[in-house]
Amino acid sequence: MGAILEIKHVSKFFGGLAANSDVSFDMTEGMIMGLIGPNGAGKTTLFNCITGYYPPSRGEVLFKGMKMNGLEPNKVCKLGMARTWQKVRPLAKMSVLDNVMVGALCRTNSLKVARDIAMEQLKVVRMDKKADFLAGGLPIGERKKLEVARVLATKPVLLLLDEVMGGLNPAESEEIIQLILEIKKAGVTQMVIEHDMKAIMRISDRIVVLNSGEKLAEGNPQEIVTNQAVIDAYLGSEH
Amino acid sequence: MRTLLKKLSDNRGISPVTICLWIVVLAGLAVFPKFVDSPYALHIMILLFLSTIMGESWNILGGYTGQYSVGHAAYFGVGAYTTMMLMQYKQIPPWYGMWVGAAVVVVVALVIGSICFRLRGPYFVLASIAVAEILRLVAMNLKDFTNGAEGILATEIPPFKIGETVVTDFLSKVPFYYIGLVFAVVTIIVTVLVQHSKLGYYFQAIREDQDAAHSLGINLAFHKNVALLFSAVLTSMAGSFYAIYIGFIDPPTVLALDISVQIVLICIIGGIGTIYGPVVGSLVLVPLSEALRSNLIAQGIFKLGLASEESAVGIFLKEHLAHAHALIYGILVVVVILFMPDGVLGFVKKLFTARKRENA
Amino acid sequence: MTVLLQSLISGILIGGVYALIGIGLTIIFGVMRVINFAHGDILMLGMYLTYNLFTKLGIDPYVSVLICIPVMFIYGGLLQKIFINRMLGALPQNQILLTIGLGLIMSNTMMLIYTSDYKILTTSYSSSSVNVAGISVSEPLAISFLITAAITTALYWFLMKTDTGQAIRATAQDREAAQLMGINVKWMSILAFGMGSALAATAGALISPTYYIFPQVGSTFTLKAFVITVLGGMGSIVGATLGGIIIGVAESVGAVYISSGWKDVIVFVLFILVLLFKPAGLMGKSRM
Ligand SMILES: Nc1ncnc2c1ncn2[C@@H]1O[C@H](COP(=O)(O)OP(=O)(O)O)[C@@H](O)[C@H]1O
Ligand SMILES: [Mg+2]
Repeated sequence: MGAILEIKHVSKFFGGLAANSDVSFDMTEGMIMGLIGPNGAGKTTLFNCITGYYPPSRGEVLFKGMKMNGLEPNKVCKLGMARTWQKVRPLAKMSVLDNVMVGALCRTNSLKVARDIAMEQLKVVRMDKKADFLAGGLPIGERKKLEVARVLATKPVLLLLDEVMGGLNPAESEEIIQLILEIKKAGVTQMVIEHDMKAIMRISDRIVVLNSGEKLAEGNPQEIVTNQAVIDAYLGSEH
Repeated sequence: MRTLLKKLSDNRGISPVTICLWIVVLAGLAVFPKFVDSPYALHIMILLFLSTIMGESWNILGGYTGQYSVGHAAYFGVGAYTTMMLMQYKQIPPWYGMWVGAAVVVVVALVIGSICFRLRGPYFVLASIAVAEILRLVAMNLKDFTNGAEGILATEIPPFKIGETVVTDFLSKVPFYYIGLVFAVVTIIVTVLVQHSKLGYYFQAIREDQDAAHSLGINLAFHKNVALLFSAVLTSMAGSFYAIYIGFIDPPTVLALDISVQIVLICIIGGIGTIYGPVVGSLVLVPLSEALRSNLIAQGIFKLGLASEESAVGIFLKEHLAHAHALIYGILVVVVILFMPDGVLGFVKKLFTARKRENA
Repeated sequence: MTVLLQSLISGILIGGVYALIGIGLTIIFGVMRVINFAHGDILMLGMYLTYNLFTKLGIDPYVSVLICIPVMFIYGGLLQKIFINRMLGALPQNQILLTIGLGLIMSNTMMLIYTSDYKILTTSYSSSSVNVAGISVSEPLAISFLITAAITTALYWFLMKTDTGQAIRATAQDREAAQLMGINVKWMSILAFGMGSALAATAGALISPTYYIFPQVGSTFTLKAFVITVLGGMGSIVGATLGGIIIGVAESVGAVYISSGWKDVIVFVLFILVLLFKPAGLMGKSRM
């Protein structure tokens, strides 16, 4: 099976700061890739480079073999790659249902179809009861779930989740973990940024560790927890 | 009829009660000139329609799509000038001229859009002002073309004929009343249709969060330009209508910053991003500024005995209150922005829900 | 050649006054991130204040700067305290509309009091000029340039060397950090709006011997102030100074070589080009 996403020597500079430097790895279809690293390691920046929020300064990103550099986020989304935002971005003055419908309208021109898709996705994240609430008034846990439902409604084949468990209580986190596993079962490839090590070890097939913008290590969860460089740079300091 | 109502309300999320109310109001407005023949009353109604058209049009771009243009005078003025110049210099009747005006505005809007939509927030606002100012200055300076600061006076409006039958000769205010009414209704219907469509969802998503919208597959530049085109073309219609109705235009009355600000105020005061906001805004602003302009308020103050007509205060009021409508605008804006950020409509809604909660 | 030189010099001289207007706007934007659409109207108030001091009390316009500064400083501070402070977290659009509303109130109140007639403040030197090496320089412009230079220098000194000045700059750089450092951010905002208003009004006082005075004069200057500050980079004082001079020169050279009607078009085209291609302005990096 070929790689669905190939990241080749991606670097991103902000002035003198290298937020990503020469990062390369591949993802195969159906897998969950964990992306970890301390704060400021460049994880979100990598998401931004992959999804076209800004182009990488160097290197390239191939999605299903296609070169993505310079492609705008809306085109990237249409091609089937979608992302959530670490700092959630609800469409505050629209209802929860409308938020998800905006996502669904990526694949249909009919409001009715979009509404059905949206309701379905809200059921998946167990928020269908809140469909008529204003998105701006939701508590953080539900905002994160809304973010996921909305992005799922765009019917992605590759989903990039940026700290969707950040700021959630254990019960809510567990709910998200189950959700991620369900999404995997549905055949969607995922890249997940997460700080909760237990969670990431549980769900990931492979893990990439970033540190100061560079790829420090890559491997399956077992290899990562026993990797000395990772323990020194990251795991050791946190646990 | 019933099935039609049901279909409308199912597909568009509009309640049958609303539709019936609409029909009643429209019927009332349609027969209004049959019962009221005071030209002044008709004049006020025409201004109301005009203001509603301007507000609703801006609302599509500013209220729904969140792109606060403070340069809509550009589209109003270009529409007005095109129609007026075609009529005066080329004898092309205004009901053709206004479509030419709309076409010119499409080109102007696409140019302005390609400049301004690269910018966000306050920079977008500033750019929209600057572009409109350039147009005003050009109209001032191209004296051979636009007659510069002297403006253009309509000497004669050709009668509207279908075949050989004269439909109207525009001598009374009644034809303007009906044209204004139809335009206003069309503008509102367009807004409703847009709001309850994919476009409407995308516009609002852009308003709420551009980056999120972008990442959800929305082409920002394209949709902002579509919103602008709707908005600009409808605004140009208002401009053409204004030119023919008033019969005189010059850069300060159709292309100035004041006009742009006034258009925004209609929406701010009524309630931004709502269908009825501009209607409510017009209902507040038009009568108020007309009452001030025609010194009704000064006379009211004298009648109530608050000041005598001969006293120094009375003379001052009589002389100056007529010029005060812009002052009232200013006060209204400050009060609304500080105390009713969702406009009069939002404020009333809040009052009602608060009342309901108290009762419950 | 002399014509070019002459228009260059008068451009620089009027540019000094423009710089004052721009600096006022940029300080307000720097500290509060609010674009003040009433800026030109505050300038207009300065003009009327000067006009009244001159016609009623016989105070020379340049001397009245000494009165304008404190009076309009307090006025601006009050505006900030009563209105703008409530809006600091609000949408930028609403802040803009609030200042538009305040500007409308100012200009139309003046119209109620003074009607929209043009007033002229004629001093003995309004149209006199001095001859420097064969180039004639308008006397009022020259005096106002000197005053502008003095005020700008004093302002630099205040912002760079005094504790309060540094606190203002810190607030402009990062509001939250400044708050954490124990700086009274609200007070700094009041100071900033007061200073911005005083500067605008001073500019109004300085140009009153050479400009028509009428209630609607403000909007031209508000627009000019935007152009100047965007050109220099929003929030940069050096940039605003530079922007003021550039616009002054562009206008006065444009008036000679193109036509006075088209010179404003040039200014706005310049403005849009800067917005598009150098949105951070000439001095965008250095905030204040
Ligand atoms: N738009 C930006 N401009 C300048 N620096 C940035 C920008 N975005 C991120 N950075 C910097 O890049 C580094 C990586 O940030 P980020 O990708 O958000 O890290 P992570 O998501 O791993 O916590 C940080 O030092 C951050 O300050
Ligand atoms: Mg991050």
